Parts: sequence; structure tokens; C-alpha cells
Amino acid sequence: MPKLYYWPGTCGITIHILLEETGIAYEREQIDLSIKQQYSREYLAINPKGKVPAFIRDDGALLTEVPAIAWWLAMTFPHAKLLPADVDRQTRILEAVSYIAATIHMQGAARAWRPLLFSSHAGEQDSVIARGREIVLQGMDIMSTMLADKNWLAGDYSIADASLFFIEYWAIEKVGYALPVNIEAHYQRMRARPAVQRALAAEGLA
Amino acid sequence: MTTLCYAKGTCAMGIHILLEEVGKPYDLRRVDFSKQEQHSPEYRKLNPKGKVPALVRDDGSILTEYAAIATWLAMSNPDKKLLPTDPEGAARTIEALDFAVGTLHMLSWRLFRRPDAYTANPDEQAQLKLRGREAVEKGLAVVDANLAGKTYVAGNYSIADSALYYVEFWVAEVAKWPLPPNVQKHYDLMKTRPAVQASRKEEGVA
Repeated sequence: MPKLYYWPGTCGITIHILLEETGIAYEREQIDLSIKQQYSREYLAINPKGKVPAFIRDDGALLTEVPAIAWWLAMTFPHAKLLPADVDRQTRILEAVSYIAATIHMQGAARAWRPLLFSSHAGEQDSVIARGREIVLQGMDIMSTMLADKNWLAGDYSIADASLFFIEYWAIEKVGYALPVNIEAHYQRMRARPAVQRALAAEGLA
Repeated sequence: MTTLCYAKGTCAMGIHILLEEVGKPYDLRRVDFSKQEQHSPEYRKLNPKGKVPALVRDDGSILTEYAAIATWLAMSNPDKKLLPTDPEGAARTIEALDFAVGTLHMLSWRLFRRPDAYTANPDEQAQLKLRGREAVEKGLAVVDANLAGKTYVAGNYSIADSALYYVEFWVAEVAKWPLPPNVQKHYDLMKTRPAVQASRKEEGVA
């Protein structure tokens, strides 16, 4: 059976949601980042990158990187309609997913959430956090422009919405940023989806 | 005409290679980072993210994010076979590409190359540089293991190789650190491709 390795409230929530959207049966296992379990010998044998999420498919193969796992789920389970078929919208979706993962998450939220990774200098934590916040909020403005007055980022619901949800959840629930009005509405729209509710409940975040 | 906005020595060189592989006419528009041109009002109007690469397409629309530009070029030129069409091949390609762009570049090399983007403290900068190098080496070890017995990172030549190439280029030509054996072989092979040679000429290392 497919298996998701994750830690609650991390970007693995995106994959968790997408798995719930497909409706397939899968197992899940928590990798406790608070005790650095991602670097344990057992876990490195499963995922040499020492990161979550990691996804083990039915054939036992390991798949990593949120955009790659999301893409594979969308292509493999087309009934879930997680990715439109036309090249132009697929490209826009990948553009959003990559920006959310590599810039908003890794450059922005990472600074704001874990400033110690970038400076152990006590006097500097605030400026690292402030720069992270700035990157996240600038990124959310760009997402707000893309979303405009649509329900979903690419018109129809897609893997891009599940990616954006992770940042929205973190920004709203963990650090209390004020987000653009249409992004807040997108967050509530996501929370109304049964798949999102199931994923949040499974992670103990409901 | 399709125009690539790029800056010398940046990851845009990977997109330059893909444009050469596609073989259709295109223009290069150089954005001068030494003059902070990426933040100029004129460039921001074109690309609000203030980054390169950005691709202005024939229809005037702009496309950003390495993975999205690369995937779009591959999907719009299927005869060049730069991206497998089956879920497994596509997911492996995106996985390898994202690891190069998201982890090797954004989370690792950048700490070494731009520690000032994270901290103004000189001691901290020295530490970040060390950590950046360590992270690049750790990441390349993962790639090295994955390349064992293979010619290209995702099986056949693909957009993922262009991303790995620009990281190899930085490590070999800018930092002048040794590459692990399989990675070195991949880099040497890439250098024999005419598309890569065109990029190296532009970068001034031909």
C-alpha cells in the first residue's frame, strides 16, 4: 500500500490533501522533526535526503519533492481532476507550485519560522524574521494577483491550491499574518473541502 | 520573438541551454545584476518578482520559475523529448529538477554565495558559507548515488539535466570544488552538447 511520511503542519499537508482528494487507500507515518527523526539511520535508509514529505508508491519506489509527488498523483489518478490537460494551464500551475515551494516557503517562511538557521546572533533574529515576513507577504501578493476573483488559482481546482493552502495555514494559524482578502477567502474555501478536513484531522490540526 | 531575460552566472543559463536544445529563434535580454537592474521599475513591470530567468513568449506573456519555464519549453516542443510523458518519467524528472533548483541551489549554494542575504554579521556569514558548502556537498552525494549506472539524471536526457548542469557549473567553475565521480562524468558529458557549448560561450568559459 502507498505510504506517506510526514510531520503535522509541514508542507507534507499538501500531499496529504491530494491523497485524500484521490480517495486511494494509503498508510501514513509521522517522522518527528522535534527529535530530528528525519536524520535517524532508519529514516535515511528510506529517504536519503532526510526530509519530509516522502511518498512510497505501491511498487515500493520512493518519490520526494512536493511538486514531483503532487504531479505524479495528479497524472496517475486523473479521475481526481487535480491537473488540467492543457499545456498552458499546466505551466501556470507548475509556476505557482514552484514559487510557493522554493521562494515563499524556503526563502520566506523558513527565515520567519526558523531564523536560527540563518543567524545565531541574538540581535539579528528580528531582522531575519522581518525579511522572511516580507518575502512571504510579497509572495502572497503575487498569488493574490494570480487568484484574482476566481475560486481556484488556475480556474479549476488543482495541485496549486493544495500547495498554497500550506502557506495560508502557516501564515494564518501559526504566525497570524494579515493576508489579502481573496487569499483569506481561498483559505476558507479550501477548509470547506472534505479532503482538506480529513487531512487536517489526520494531522491532529482540525 | 521569444526573449529570455537572464543575468550572467545565474541559473538562467540552464534555460538558455534548453532554448538552444529547442533550436527555435530567440532573443537574449541581459539584466545587469551589478547595477541592480532586476529591481528597476522597468524590469519589475515586466516581472514583479524581480528575478531571472523570465521568459517573454511570442504572445507577449511572461513565464517565471525555472521548473515552469523548462516544463513549458519541453511540452511545447515534444519532438525534442525533453520531458517524458508517462507519470513515472515525468515525476522523476520533476523530482530531480526540483532537488537541483530547490535544494542544491536555493537552500545550499545560496547560503555559500549570498550569506549577506541572510545576515549582516560577518561571523555569521562565515558560518553560513561553511554550512552552504556542506549542504551542497551533501546534496551532490545524493545526486551522485542516483547517477550510478546512468547517463542522465532521469534516464534519458531531460530538462532535469539542464538544472543539474548549472549547479555543477557553479561548483566546478566558480567555487572550484571537486565534483563526486558520477557528477563529474555528467558535467563532462553535458559540456560536449552543442547547446551547452553555446551557453558556455555566453558565460565566457568556452
